[in-house]
Amino acid sequence: MSTGNMDRRDFLRVLGISGAAATLAGCGHTSIESGVEEVMSYVQPQDFVVPGIGVFYSSTCTQCGSGCGIMGKVREGRVLKLEGNPESGISGGKICGLGQAGVQAHYNPDRLHTPMMNIEGGLVPISWERANQLLDEHFGTKSSLQGEQIAFLTGGVSGHQRVVLENFLESFGSTQHVCYDAISTATGRAASKTVLGAEQPLWNFSKARLILSFGSDFLGNGVSPVYMAREFAKFRKAPRGTLIQIEPRMTLTGGNADRWYPIKPGTEGILALGIAHDLLQHPEFSGKVPQEVLDLVKNYDRDAVSEVTGIGADAVRLIAAQLWNNTPSLVVAGPAVEGHAYGFSNAAAVQLLNVILGNRGNSLEGQSEHPFPQMTPTLGSYRALAELHKKMVSGNCQALLIHGTNPVFTSPTHLEFSEAMKKVPFKVALVTHIDETAGQCDLVLPLLSAMEDFGTHIAEYQPSGVELMLQQPLMEKLYPETKGFGDILLDVLKKRKPQEYAVFPDYYSYLKAAVLKAKPVFHSDEPDEHFWETALMNGVVKWEGKPTDLEAKMVPLEVPEPHGLTTDYPFYFVPSIRPDMRDGRHAYLPWLQESPETMTTVVWDSWVEIHPKTAAQMQIKEGDVLLLQSATGSIQAKAYIFPGIQPDTVSMPLGQGHTQMGRYASGVGANPYKILDPIFDAHTGELALHATRVAIRKTGENQKVVKDEGPTNLQNGQKLVATLSADQAKLAREI
Amino acid sequence: MSLSNLIQNWDSFRKRRPYEDQYKDAPYKWAMVIDLDSCIGCNACTVACYAENNLAVVGKERFGKGQAMHWIRIERYWGEGEALETEFPERGAQYLPMLCQQCEAAPCEPVCPVGATHHSPDGLNTQVYNRCVGSRYCSANCPYKVRYFNWWNYPERAWPNPLELQLNPDVTVRSKGVMEKCTFCMQRLRAGQDKAKTAGRLLADGEVLTACAQACPTSAITFGNLADKNSKVARMWKNQQVDLAKNAQDKSEEGVRGYRILEDLNTYPSIVYLERLRNFAA
Amino acid sequence: MSHNVHGHPQMDVQVERKFVPKVKDLGPDVNWAQINKDVLRSLEKPRPVFWIIFFSALALFSFGVYCEVYQYQNGMGVADLNNPQVWGLYIATFIFWIGMGHSGTLLSALLHIIHADWRKPIYRYSEAMTTFTLLTAALFVMVHMGRLWEFYYVVAYPNERWTWPNFTSPLVWDATAIGTYLTSSLLFLYMGMIPDLAICRDNAKGARRALYKFLSLGWQGTDRQWGNFKVAYMTMACFLMPLAVSVHSIVSTDFAVSQNPGWHVTSFPPYFVLGALYSGCSGIITLFIVLRYVFRFEAYMTQPILNKLIKMTFAIAMVWTYLDLIEYATTWYGSDEVAKADLLYRATGDYALQFWGMIFCAMVMPFTLLIRYVRHNYTVLLIISLILNVGMWLERFQIITPTFAKSHYPWTWTAGWWPSWVQWGIVAGSFGWFTMLFMLYCKIFPSVSMYEVKEMVHEQNLEGKAMAHANPESEQAPVGLLEGGQA
Repeated sequence: MSTGNMDRRDFLRVLGISGAAATLAGCGHTSIESGVEEVMSYVQPQDFVVPGIGVFYSSTCTQCGSGCGIMGKVREGRVLKLEGNPESGISGGKICGLGQAGVQAHYNPDRLHTPMMNIEGGLVPISWERANQLLDEHFGTKSSLQGEQIAFLTGGVSGHQRVVLENFLESFGSTQHVCYDAISTATGRAASKTVLGAEQPLWNFSKARLILSFGSDFLGNGVSPVYMAREFAKFRKAPRGTLIQIEPRMTLTGGNADRWYPIKPGTEGILALGIAHDLLQHPEFSGKVPQEVLDLVKNYDRDAVSEVTGIGADAVRLIAAQLWNNTPSLVVAGPAVEGHAYGFSNAAAVQLLNVILGNRGNSLEGQSEHPFPQMTPTLGSYRALAELHKKMVSGNCQALLIHGTNPVFTSPTHLEFSEAMKKVPFKVALVTHIDETAGQCDLVLPLLSAMEDFGTHIAEYQPSGVELMLQQPLMEKLYPETKGFGDILLDVLKKRKPQEYAVFPDYYSYLKAAVLKAKPVFHSDEPDEHFWETALMNGVVKWEGKPTDLEAKMVPLEVPEPHGLTTDYPFYFVPSIRPDMRDGRHAYLPWLQESPETMTTVVWDSWVEIHPKTAAQMQIKEGDVLLLQSATGSIQAKAYIFPGIQPDTVSMPLGQGHTQMGRYASGVGANPYKILDPIFDAHTGELALHATRVAIRKTGENQKVVKDEGPTNLQNGQKLVATLSADQAKLAREI
Repeated sequence: MSLSNLIQNWDSFRKRRPYEDQYKDAPYKWAMVIDLDSCIGCNACTVACYAENNLAVVGKERFGKGQAMHWIRIERYWGEGEALETEFPERGAQYLPMLCQQCEAAPCEPVCPVGATHHSPDGLNTQVYNRCVGSRYCSANCPYKVRYFNWWNYPERAWPNPLELQLNPDVTVRSKGVMEKCTFCMQRLRAGQDKAKTAGRLLADGEVLTACAQACPTSAITFGNLADKNSKVARMWKNQQVDLAKNAQDKSEEGVRGYRILEDLNTYPSIVYLERLRNFAA
Repeated sequence: MSHNVHGHPQMDVQVERKFVPKVKDLGPDVNWAQINKDVLRSLEKPRPVFWIIFFSALALFSFGVYCEVYQYQNGMGVADLNNPQVWGLYIATFIFWIGMGHSGTLLSALLHIIHADWRKPIYRYSEAMTTFTLLTAALFVMVHMGRLWEFYYVVAYPNERWTWPNFTSPLVWDATAIGTYLTSSLLFLYMGMIPDLAICRDNAKGARRALYKFLSLGWQGTDRQWGNFKVAYMTMACFLMPLAVSVHSIVSTDFAVSQNPGWHVTSFPPYFVLGALYSGCSGIITLFIVLRYVFRFEAYMTQPILNKLIKMTFAIAMVWTYLDLIEYATTWYGSDEVAKADLLYRATGDYALQFWGMIFCAMVMPFTLLIRYVRHNYTVLLIISLILNVGMWLERFQIITPTFAKSHYPWTWTAGWWPSWVQWGIVAGSFGWFTMLFMLYCKIFPSVSMYEVKEMVHEQNLEGKAMAHANPESEQAPVGLLEGGQA
């Protein structure tokens, strides 16, 4: 990174006047071992650098889509640590582990330094001249690509990156922005939209007295975990709210429940209707509930529901009573509800409870109106990928650009995505590090890391108004050959539409112009430069907005039973989502690999969770290597005996099993995506993640499970963790 | 500990610690409260600690050998007694963030042959890496097992280029053969204290936080100056009826949920945990 | 010479004694010239087995050095130590070696003070054993240290920063105690050798002569020299005895002052001292048999002496057993639940084999010493003396490992922790190192005290003559020397 000849003017041009990260020409890699370090002058320090003093610069976390405002501690030209930005209404000065590991994505030793090209089946480094030549051939003015022949496959994208991306496609006359998310919540959002009138309503924890969560891990990996965790902490203060969690496998959120119920996977909707059945017995409802709804729920009496779900009739009554006595409540549904052949009906039935309980307007509201609809995040789905896949196979897709998603790793075996990739003549990956998908592309372009690039982001979940989040470089780029995502697209656009884009020397100037153009929306009359500086300094520009009304309605939807277990496949298979690994995109970050998964404390591995009772029946011990066989395929992983799981269910975390993702991820664990059965949600066509059934076979091998937990989980009669009944505590009197 | 120092301060040297009002005149005594009802077990604190304190990532094999270096770890229990008799953990899991308890009468301190671990005037249990010879007696005597030894020369492998650029210049990168432990982010405390001293004042409450407390999304960790009676942490200690200098607390009020772990070993920890709550009616 | 050496004319009193004739420690035909010849021969050409032992020890030692270098280069991690198993075999073996040293002092100092003359032929090598075991133990302090290149921090040495070691730490007590003990033992060993070194000097040629000449400090054997020597030697002995007791008491405080269950035991100091004497005595028995064979010391290392040694070992073993059982009993009746659980874990947990192995080897095996056949069959006795020491080593192992495996904090318990080959290699190397040093010593210095055996023969002859007058038949009583028979 030592360029050595950057003068003050260059510096300002590249990084902006005040908000920019301190950069430093002479800050070479320090060698801990040899002690060789470049000495920096205290007398004549670089601009914006006070040696020995860390300065904080605002930016936005891009590790997930929550759009948390962060601050990077920058010292001597290096970003050292990320903290939450108190200006941001989402992060509120807090940050999760995943977010903090962003610096490791930036400094990752497996970062891509140069463009790569696929020559005879292997990626070979090439120069940018060659890469530009290739880009020009395919996307330049002479390009013959038109319309749907070109597609852009991404993960969640928002802000001006989305705008540039779509402008890029538009210059070809294409609308093929395909957004794929391997842990998509599309089904749940669709159900929520149908019943509550909003894909993602606002959850007012502060107004709720009880949260009933059906498999929603909102604290671990929901739509905005840091914000939810902050709100949840307030929810737990006086008067302390109650959390009831119902799910087949205990999530992080489930671990925090006052009462946790294991349920047979896929029967959550039936239970919800059972609870509704109980609730609607109250005379207050007479005459206020549509007859269709009454007709629907009348078949779901406690005993019938209890039989299907595995939750006792008393428990159904108790849950209904708790809901009735603690209004307003909040009922939420998560991936465990959606991932079934009837996931939509399942989730709709759960949301129906909210409507019955009248939570609308109390604990549930609509998100504020949006001033920038073109910048809202694109939310991925499986169906989008499947449709793209069809085009790829039929040969309609001539060029494919891929960014921020790894379908070769995360798509199920039956999709045969790798095969489809071969049918596309020109595939470009825009990545910071090689992954399985980039490994199969023809051209791989090295991107700036999130710590080096500019951008704007808008989160899906906006707790109050709309926050336009600004991402700015926290340090100068590590590798001269890397390039910003926006810059790459802009360069193509400048050639294709010079009259519109030639005025922007780089993405930074485009972004600045674009944000300044939006200034009137923020009702600001500050001078442009001042507005821009303040925006960068705060890392966020807030648009005041009010929560909107939800158009909730009681939608009576039959919830069929999920397909049962057979003798061939006698177990439900639940792929769990780790808060830090998600779909596996973060597996190359060593801090996250070494960070024990909280429920099991296992590190650096995949494992199969199995209930102690089931394990005893099958004589499975911890560390026994199990073969999980589904109708689609099989994988192996070590057994971990886990009490927080429904006994007919086995669970395995997603995210591991990479074959090509650098030194920290490759060869670690196994990839459960590869055994998912081709079962899709009947309504949305989404892949049903939780609908696979498996058989377990012992391979006879036993390996040590590497975990933080010791050989015992007892506290040896000592007061390590103590629990007090909530009614005995005097929270209101506490400080 | 020079001889003259020893002779001059003999009186305080031989005093049994802690005693009532030990920090009455001291500017700082760092302490913590961890609310187990707020802790959701998300691991943000542990990663923050790795980032702030240059903790080495040891890898699967060494982690499996019990050589991990996490200064703060989230322990997950399923409960005891009745809680274990049910088929499922009905009341959720029990998360316990465990870090150095910064004991006032720390078992690790008197046994170090070279005085590498000792008590600082602001009540921290400090570790002097340069002085440490690696006898590991401190770890042997630590009842909480929160001291971590450099079994390997981690700088060789833990930060392949350019990961080492992330290292915090304010914190020593420990080489093989020394003991390390949670310092309550003393580099932050030191910087803050110096800054306040230059301004001729004391640190304000909340002005300096440990990395774990700062990151914690639920603010389960409260950090502050116990010597300042008005600090949040001091008020919480008082409110929870925990006295630093007592090994058995008088809990005169009902529903008070502060306790210290392994208090009966007379270690006088500086961290108070608040009991986790559960609504047993649900 | 008068027939009444003691000046007691009452013959009838002595006649009474004829039915319990005193067993002589040495045979009747040992004359002074023969003593010199026999002992000096040990410096010349031993049996071939000497070289076998020496080179095996050298090989073991070399392997140990290899392991240590490997550990030094890579870090302590290669030993598979972890949190909480921070000490492993190193400290266990350290205590073992320190303990081994104690009986040498017992023989050379305590028995000297109380004039138990039978010690004379065997005290020299026992004292040498003390010195070398202490050297070996000191080695383990180094091996164990994470940063052994900073070992001198533990010692109170003057420095410009006025930094001292932490005097409240038992490890500093350890370092001081061992340092003092090692210095004193070395001095005591050397001092006792001076008259013998003079004999060597008078009989050696070349470089050896120069060495002995230098070391014998101009010893001429004058009355004045003998007088000063005796006083100095006795003073040293008086100094050394309490020192030895304090050293292992201090080593026991490494554990006794700590918080850990199973260590926090009041009876640890005497228990450790007795354990030390116990393992030392059986070590002396082992070396007795080895030296007797290798250097043909049959005339001096006789069965009566061995019998006394065995009796002493047995007595010490019984006291140790008692103290060990007391420890369990107090734990069992005490109110410390964690310590109780720890005790139960030792007996039934992952290390139960080691625990019961210790009980068998160190508590049950001593009873075989009551069998006459065992005492007289040197092969069997050699094996048993080794088993006793295996038992004592296991005792140290099971003090340390199970306590770490299950101490106060259950989250960090370790199940079935086992040391790596590096630890075993270094432990094996330490046995090689000790044996090598000891064998070298015996080859260079007289391992049987010539002048004291002469004293012994002299006194025995005086006594014998007195006895012969009193009871002429006893003179003819056969005394099997080489066979080690007992009258």
